[in-house]
Amino acid sequence: MERAGTGFRKELVSKLLHLHFRDEKTKVGGDALQLMAELLRIFVVEAAVRGVRQAQAEDVTLVDIDQLEKVLPQLLLDF
Amino acid sequence: MQETEETEEQERLSYQQRLKAAVHYTVGCLCQEVAEDKEMQFSKQTIAAISEMTFRQCENFARDVEMFARHAKRNTVNTEDVKLLARRSNSLLKYITEKSEELNQERKAKKKKQPKDGNQSCREPAEAGGGDSES
Repeated sequence: MERAGTGFRKELVSKLLHLHFRDEKTKVGGDALQLMAELLRIFVVEAAVRGVRQAQAEDVTLVDIDQLEKVLPQLLLDF
Repeated sequence: MQETEETEEQERLSYQQRLKAAVHYTVGCLCQEVAEDKEMQFSKQTIAAISEMTFRQCENFARDVEMFARHAKRNTVNTEDVKLLARRSNSLLKYITEKSEELNQERKAKKKKQPKDGNQSCREPAEAGGGDSES
């Protein structure tokens, strides 16, 4: 997938990170945010593409929960 | 006393809910792109599941990245910390490292003018919250 227009917005990524930080003093640099957004985008696209591949292997035309479930373990090991 | 605690808890939950909705929207857009590209459909539940996964994965990412920064005796998370997140997969690490380099050069090239985000085509319908703090 080449760089498309869609992706996570920096503000959203920032809020998501700060929601889970244990220390309020923790800050995130601008470039780090951008990179984090990219990482999240890859995570989502990987989940989707692997789901598609699984559906193709099973010869179905819809990526459903069953297909996602099968690719989930390896996906989580890769991230 | 207890009432204020309860409302605080409720506010926290609804804030979380709003962030989840924003994640869900972005995931929907991304899945739509993949669907068009691969000529395959995604069920609503699949998109919801990917959103939930992403939201929870954020928790892991946030905790890790915070600890990496702390380990380096910093309070600010930088790109090095994010690179460490991608350590488990070689190709992902390579990609993220390249991206980081790109960002670095972009910033050097136009130090004054901030590069525009390429996210214009996919906006969340509602802002997840007030105050757009970027740091």
